[in-house]
Amino acid sequence: MTRYTLKGLLAATGLAAAFTGAALADTKVAVIMSDSGSANPFWAAVTKGALDKGAELGIDVAAVAPAGGETDVAGQIAMVEDQIAKGVVGIAIAPADTAALVPVLEQARKRGVHVVFIDKRADMPGTYIGTNNIPAARIGAQHICDSVESGSDVAVLQGIVTSTTGQHRAQGGREGLVECGLNLVAEQPADWDAGKAQTATENILTANPGLRAIFASNDNMALGAIEALRTAKMLDQVMIVGFDGNPNAAESILKGELAASVAQRPAVMGAMGVEAVLKLVAGEELPDEIDTGAELVTKENAESYL
Amino acid sequence: MAVRSTEEAARRRLRTLEKYGVFGMVLLMAVVLTLLQPDIFLSAQNLTNILRQVAMNALLALGLYVVILTAGIDLSVGSIMALSTMLLAMADVAGWPWPLAILVGPAIGVLCGLVNGFGLTVLRLPHPFIMTLGTLYTLRGVTNLVSGGRPVSGVSDTIRFLGSGEIPMPFLGKFGSIPVSAVVLLVCYAGTAYFLNKMSIGRHIFAVGGNPQAARVSGIDVNRILLVVYGMSGFFAGLAGLLMAGRTGAGFPNAGIGAELDAIAAVIIGGASFFGGRGTVLGVFAGVLVMGLLRNGLNLMDVSAFWQQTLIGMIVVGAVFVDVLRRRAGRGP
Repeated sequence: MTRYTLKGLLAATGLAAAFTGAALADTKVAVIMSDSGSANPFWAAVTKGALDKGAELGIDVAAVAPAGGETDVAGQIAMVEDQIAKGVVGIAIAPADTAALVPVLEQARKRGVHVVFIDKRADMPGTYIGTNNIPAARIGAQHICDSVESGSDVAVLQGIVTSTTGQHRAQGGREGLVECGLNLVAEQPADWDAGKAQTATENILTANPGLRAIFASNDNMALGAIEALRTAKMLDQVMIVGFDGNPNAAESILKGELAASVAQRPAVMGAMGVEAVLKLVAGEELPDEIDTGAELVTKENAESYL
Repeated sequence: MAVRSTEEAARRRLRTLEKYGVFGMVLLMAVVLTLLQPDIFLSAQNLTNILRQVAMNALLALGLYVVILTAGIDLSVGSIMALSTMLLAMADVAGWPWPLAILVGPAIGVLCGLVNGFGLTVLRLPHPFIMTLGTLYTLRGVTNLVSGGRPVSGVSDTIRFLGSGEIPMPFLGKFGSIPVSAVVLLVCYAGTAYFLNKMSIGRHIFAVGGNPQAARVSGIDVNRILLVVYGMSGFFAGLAGLLMAGRTGAGFPNAGIGAELDAIAAVIIGGASFFGGRGTVLGVFAGVLVMGLLRNGLNLMDVSAFWQQTLIGMIVVGAVFVDVLRRRAGRGP
């Protein structure tokens, strides 16, 4: 019934108008996270984004997470079952395990409950909503391009290169720097680690004394690189851009040491999860992957990342 | 005289509270949840959900109950469950015939349980807390070692039957069915009740818990009893692993983290005494239901999962306090 009315309304008045209608007050959507907002600021932002979107559209959104956090797989499975019993039209989930959640999510779909993935996907088909690290890293590289003259020597600090995240961030950083005409002199893995990044940076500086910028694939490594620059007294010559938008990185940005950091947009992820479910309910086709985009943290906005 | 009889009455009230309190609590929770969620709570779909959700904890709690009867403790059941799930999934995915693969979980469970018993009886470790704390860590480590910390998916439907099968009950509505795992529970609970109350070895278990010294003097082989109870606890944990593999279609390294504490809580809420020798199988199941209903109810109302932890802690303390009151009253004036 609800579904039928929904389709009609959508056709008549378009998405925004339809979801503010009072007829949808009983539309329930669940956002099931793998960790709770009170334990992790990332999930706190996802929760806020999802709930704000629910309030904006006038629908009932529940953002929940199992008590045991990411390891509480059984708890998350029970949550999916209970949300189905509650009569939600769809679930946006960050699966606590890529394999173990599959049967219960298939069960949900069999009962007409739509499922999309946020932040992480389970081993099954469906739309994934998260940060695409390649374009995100390009945002960081672009900031370097805008700040140093063309042809300058630059370097990339890679994360763990066997992980997809590590590969994608390194790739986006490399492509961004090379395409705008900078001279990429070194790409070194430092395994997301500040200490390893410090050593790697020391070596890069020894071989390339004219270095002007480093793109680090996470903030830990960016802060490690800054320590190496401080020791070498080259902080003024070399600019560093990190990734994650962590509080300690924001602090460093405000101090004027770190130039910038690329941040994911968890609130957008929560909001898009709710929207994606509603689009599926309305019968729309969704792409396999939806990029939530990324945002550059600089002196102007670092305050809000502390 | 009058004072005496009031005390008698108070004692009797406490005994009743201890014996039937947990059942009253289950009933009370069911009534409250029905009032709060009239359309959802009593739906066939939600009731079968609850049965499915409590199955693993019910099996772990049953094993722990037998251990706690001897005034022991088994902290390793969550890790045993994880290892059983993982090895069973690996065996099945590697193409073992199902009659063999299905035995892997329970067999690994018994083996791990016997290792615990071995530590107590042969190595003579001073308290089961230490031995089973050791295996809690070790078996979790082994689970991660054999799997490389990654889940193993693709468990076959035959193996999954006990954990995810449904017996259709069309008269219960569109989604009406009874999970096969509930039948497994029924068999295990009835079997354990028979074993403990009707067989001599079962009665010896109560005797060891009540007073180990007296049990030894009266000719009971205490070491053998310990091997049996830890073996049983391991068996039920392995069986829980089999149900878990069925429910999830996978072996995954984080299965059963913290599950031992849920199981212990259920046994205590169910009225078993930590000092051994006291408690009933039905009480344990009621304890499991209290925890299951709490979780289900809070989920249905979208209350933060942290309330679940907070409330369970308070219920555990309350349940034991009733036991303390009873003992105090039992000593008399």
